[in-house]
Amino acid sequence: MKEEHQKGHGKTYKYGMVVDLDKCTGCGACMVACMAENNISFRKDDTNKLVSNFWMRVYKISNGLPFPDADISYIPRPCMHCEGHGHHHATPCVSVCPACATDYDHETGIVSQVYTRCFGCRYCMAACPYHARVFNWWDPRWPEGMEKYLSPDVSPRMRGVVEKCSFCFHRLQRARNKAYAEKRREIGEDEYQTACTEACPGGAITFGDLDNPEHKVCKLKDAPGTFRLLEKLGTNPKVYYTTTRDWVQKAADVYVGNEGNGVTPA
Amino acid sequence: MDSALIPEGVKRCPLKWFAVWIGILNVPLMVGVVGALLCWGLALNQTNMNNNYPFALWIAADLGVIALGAGAFFTGFLRYIVKIDELNNIVNFTVVIGVICYAAALGILAIDIGQPLRGWFIFWHANVHSMLTEVAFCISCYFMVLCIEYVPLILENRQIDKFRFPHAFSHRLHEMMPAIAAVGVFLSFFHQGSLGGVPGVLYGRPFAYREGFLVWPWTFFLFILSAIACGPCFTILITKITEKFARKQLVKRNVIDILARISGWLLAGYLVLKILDTVYWVSSTAANVGAPAGSFYANEPFGVWVLITEVGILGVIPAIILLTKRARENQPLLMLACLLNCTGIFMNRWIMTVQSLAVPVMPFDKFFSYHPNWVEWATTLMPLWAGAIVISLSYRYLPIFPQEKELNPL
Amino acid sequence: MKMDRRSFIIFSLGAGAGITFSPLPWKLTDDMAIWTQNWPWTPVPPEGVVTHADSVCNLCPGGCGITVRKVGDRVTKIEGREGYQVNNGGICPLGAAGLQLLYGPWRVQSPLRRVGKRGSGQFETISWEDAIDEVVKKLGDLRVKGQASTVACITGLDRGTVPQLFDRFLKAYGSPNFIRTASAGDTYEFALGLMQGATASVGYDLERASFILSFGSGLIEGWGSPVRVIKAHSVWRSGNKKDRATLVQIEPRLSNTAAKADIWYAANPGTEAALALGLAHVIVKGSLYNADFVKNYAFGFEDWNDSKGQNHMGFKSLVLSKYSPEAVSKITGLSAKDIVKLAQDFAKADRPLAVWGRGKGTLPGSLYECMAVHALNALVGNINKPGGVSTRPEVATQAWPEVKQDSTAEVGCSKPRVDGAGSNRYPLTKCLPERWPKEINENGGTIQALLVHEADPFYTTLDSAAVAKAFDRIPFVVSFSSYMDDTAYNADLILPNHQYLERLEDFPTPVGLQKPILGLLQPVVSPQFDTRHVGDVLMTIAKGIGGTVAEAFPWDNYETVLKETMGDKWHTLEKAGYVEADYKPPAWGKAFATPSGKFEFCATAFDKAGMRISKDMDYLPHYQPIQPEGDEATYPLILMPVELIRLADGFIGNPPFCTKTLEATELKGNELFVEVNPKTAADYRLSEGQHAIIETPKGEGKVLVHLSEGIMPGVIGMPKGLGHVGYDDYLAGKGVNVNSLMGVVEDPISGLCATWGIRAKLTSVLS
Repeated sequence: MKEEHQKGHGKTYKYGMVVDLDKCTGCGACMVACMAENNISFRKDDTNKLVSNFWMRVYKISNGLPFPDADISYIPRPCMHCEGHGHHHATPCVSVCPACATDYDHETGIVSQVYTRCFGCRYCMAACPYHARVFNWWDPRWPEGMEKYLSPDVSPRMRGVVEKCSFCFHRLQRARNKAYAEKRREIGEDEYQTACTEACPGGAITFGDLDNPEHKVCKLKDAPGTFRLLEKLGTNPKVYYTTTRDWVQKAADVYVGNEGNGVTPA
Repeated sequence: MDSALIPEGVKRCPLKWFAVWIGILNVPLMVGVVGALLCWGLALNQTNMNNNYPFALWIAADLGVIALGAGAFFTGFLRYIVKIDELNNIVNFTVVIGVICYAAALGILAIDIGQPLRGWFIFWHANVHSMLTEVAFCISCYFMVLCIEYVPLILENRQIDKFRFPHAFSHRLHEMMPAIAAVGVFLSFFHQGSLGGVPGVLYGRPFAYREGFLVWPWTFFLFILSAIACGPCFTILITKITEKFARKQLVKRNVIDILARISGWLLAGYLVLKILDTVYWVSSTAANVGAPAGSFYANEPFGVWVLITEVGILGVIPAIILLTKRARENQPLLMLACLLNCTGIFMNRWIMTVQSLAVPVMPFDKFFSYHPNWVEWATTLMPLWAGAIVISLSYRYLPIFPQEKELNPL
Repeated sequence: MKMDRRSFIIFSLGAGAGITFSPLPWKLTDDMAIWTQNWPWTPVPPEGVVTHADSVCNLCPGGCGITVRKVGDRVTKIEGREGYQVNNGGICPLGAAGLQLLYGPWRVQSPLRRVGKRGSGQFETISWEDAIDEVVKKLGDLRVKGQASTVACITGLDRGTVPQLFDRFLKAYGSPNFIRTASAGDTYEFALGLMQGATASVGYDLERASFILSFGSGLIEGWGSPVRVIKAHSVWRSGNKKDRATLVQIEPRLSNTAAKADIWYAANPGTEAALALGLAHVIVKGSLYNADFVKNYAFGFEDWNDSKGQNHMGFKSLVLSKYSPEAVSKITGLSAKDIVKLAQDFAKADRPLAVWGRGKGTLPGSLYECMAVHALNALVGNINKPGGVSTRPEVATQAWPEVKQDSTAEVGCSKPRVDGAGSNRYPLTKCLPERWPKEINENGGTIQALLVHEADPFYTTLDSAAVAKAFDRIPFVVSFSSYMDDTAYNADLILPNHQYLERLEDFPTPVGLQKPILGLLQPVVSPQFDTRHVGDVLMTIAKGIGGTVAEAFPWDNYETVLKETMGDKWHTLEKAGYVEADYKPPAWGKAFATPSGKFEFCATAFDKAGMRISKDMDYLPHYQPIQPEGDEATYPLILMPVELIRLADGFIGNPPFCTKTLEATELKGNELFVEVNPKTAADYRLSEGQHAIIETPKGEGKVLVHLSEGIMPGVIGMPKGLGHVGYDDYLAGKGVNVNSLMGVVEDPISGLCATWGIRAKLTSVLS
């Protein structure tokens, strides 16, 4: 019964993000805030990025030019919460999960992940071109005493399951509960913000309902110079990027191989 | 000592030697078991897999053994449905191979997911839209079918057959075999295809993604075709290897020849479609999303040589051999063709899974290579040793080769 | 019924079928699957009442406001405090990872006494009474023996009540050796003293500047108050393209700041002063300077006559004669055209601002370089103007009663400082935090007891080998650290302070801020371990020593100290968590307390301090290269520390979350990467990911090589903040401490550490 009320009273949202890459300084506060917010595990040696656990990952990219024309930029990459469209009507990862452990919520546009349901086949990771999904190759363990800072809002995962950014879904739940308690139907823009958005010292991340013209993201996403990653694949991601630097805009393209398009890993 | 268990009218090596042979096979098998226990006990960090390669050797091997196991359903199909009676002389053996392959596939999957107990959720919370769900259901059901097909063989053991009930039961099953085979064929077509669908539906991965017919990407059909093209060759290969070890002919040449010929035609057909698919994929599907062909083969060891080897060396060459009567009748050449064909299928499955993930998609993705470690190899090779044990036992105690007596009179 | 074989088989098959179609096996399988969801070793965080509490972060001198989210009595999140003047909701990675510092295994959980060899990390737990007794006894003995002046104290900041208590303690006790950890502020304060006659910190009105010219300042790598500066950067990047501010970065490496800059000029390292003067040349020559300021409020721009009628060279003559674009081009490696254009763009901008302080500003740097950059600000007349640079006082608080010194204290305090600051040679310098090891090792300086608070000199002081040697000669090292940092690890006694989330303390105005704001650290969580507030501990020690030392601390406890110090501001402070002073920088006419009463391009304060300056040029900001140590033949390359915002390099060790965010090209396993240009790498046959030995006159270390087009050929960049011995193995043993490869090059005037790099060689090794 409570669950019913907690849902958005029939109103649908399409939560998404616009990241201003000109304002992003690559400081990494979003990553750390995300790790702290979502009980993300860490290890003594986390230098092998291929097995370490990031929901929000800030990529460092380069224009590939020699000194002193070299340039770098950062691209924060949460889960894109792809909507899919047209022929690919479903989120790449959601449609492939054999156990319904991940789902696209049409009420919020959020792609969920049910850790207790996931049995670790990792098909969703194969489906995701953004590397937004990570696998628990180890049992998450915290040094003695450190489990004290774990938040009860997000259950710590166990080995052998896939996890990813949830747009801090528990914060939406919190906002919904509050709205319900106050007998309101709608969730305000300020009431629900992701941890990374709040933490970003440069205010580079804007989060909100992409369909609501009163939310900042709605206007920002249509500004010139705005792009999404791998848009051509038809994933229809809900994370937008904006930059004034031409070469950084090339980051939207699909990998073209060695000839390059002016964007390389840094 | 165990002579009472050995089928009448055939000769088998002394039990002592047999025990030694089985003992030898158990050594690498146990290494594999250790690997599996490490994965289950200490989690999957024991492998070289990572977030860039969530699918790796195991998945490739899984798809590979299932394709090789296609000999079982396809021979059944040819024997019971198309009614090529000569194949009666090898259909039992294809069942044995099938059981091994499918058991291997399930076993590898159980290690691959790291927590097999939870694999239950694939059935309990099935997502009908997922290719993997289709695969899981079909493989499990078909494995049961294979077991049902294998049971009468066991019941035909000389001692068991003496009892009235097993004898009658076995007889009944034999009578039902066409129906069972038909069920098997249906299931197999679907899961072989679904396995093709596994990479084919990944529209986030331009290397893997294929357009298709209704909900089925072209890889769905290519996988079916390639599986039935190589399944018979695998049957021939294993039969020949068994003959090598048994030091006698077990199946008549004409039976082998039928399989080889069919395999050849299917392989040729597959290659035509595969090439068409590749051309369309490169020029249209991938080009439309802005991924040039060169980008797929830009990083060694996943270079263009991969495509050339897969389609050319491991496809065209065996097809030519299999379709040329004289070449086909040359035993070493036939063996080579079968070997190339089977390697080709493995390579194809590897490419469709591992290379699909290896190719960077975002322009700022760094390419990383992947090499399986010993745990992955040891576990992946387990079916080889376990399979040899099952075949050895089956050969020794069960009448799986009807022509053996005739070909090797005592 | 007789059970024959047949019926048994049928029965078995029937039973099998029955069980299969019963719920039993399916339910059991499901239960088994569910069982795997609840591994006992996966923590289940307990629920609790959710509360929020505000405080201030003290992990760097940035002083951001934070809000902690608590569940029950546990802190589960640290967030930037909304509406706080410094950071308004934003937080840096270190601040957000603060909870790992609170609950981590690197906390010192009780007073510890060293039992093994120093540096072996072997300690025994002792009681607070014993620990304090030991300090009292030791310090008491030294005092009785007339060695009071051999006690030294190193603190991170010198502002705020707790550092002031230490200062007061030394005054009452009888030692002049209060040492503040090194920072660019040391030199800037020195320069402001000379040029503006001010005793204040520098404040930059970054938010309102429209053209920011940064001389190697890592503006977005943790410089100043990091979140505030990043916020300012966002202001520069807001609005229409034409409204946006311009950022120009001068740096030999493509740092994040350089990458974010509209223009990045890779000038030769160490030539920043020459560039600033070259720009001044263009500005002066083209009369692009603020004539009002220069004419009416500045001294020493034109040539001048002293009281004896002797003519002296002014700034104008100096820059016109010596720093033509062509000359500067030769020094800096930038083209004359670029220099002219940059100068013109800078001078013509609405609100230009030249910013100084290399990297995060952790090293003092060259005085003349600082003066040269500050002179640029003066030329464009942005001193005390919106979008400019100003001197910024602290929030006024109640003064403490004068310390009554007994004769021991008087004698002790009149002795020369162990670091040489305030001596005839360095009369204007307050403290020389990088110099004391040298004094001990080479010049017979003595420290019998060292007290360390919120500083990690063992780690952060350059030339680690010399520091370790000096430590060996200090018989008694006391750390008040909350964490097992490198100094604590090498201490004899650790008296752990409450961690910053567990204690009450004031936080002075963040570095670089243009307006005074005083924040309050509040105990948002009860102390997790057997720790005590350092203020209370220090006062207990003072009381233990007795006499006038005890009398200097008439307060019951630290809380009283704080409340009294804040006076009528306490109420606001307690309620709001901060107090702001209504401060407007004084107008030019009243701004300068120099001998001339004006802004002095020509620092006559030298004369006043009795420093013998022989040449006219030495009164003026000029280019006096600070040569990196080492000979070029042996050490053909130049090593420069690289400061990263994701890697804390001060008294706080990097928490695991932050270390996790380091790039794969910065740390791999336990080895760090040095950054080398591919051209340099080709010269020395180095390839990506290869092992190499880096060697400088001060030491050597094994590193990995990362090729980067973002660094000037001939320069090696090495991350600063790794190579700890303290903390847990989440940090200890990872990489090499770049400070161990660096040496101290002293500024000839201030004596402060002017090091910016050191000569080095890089040799490839096989494994």
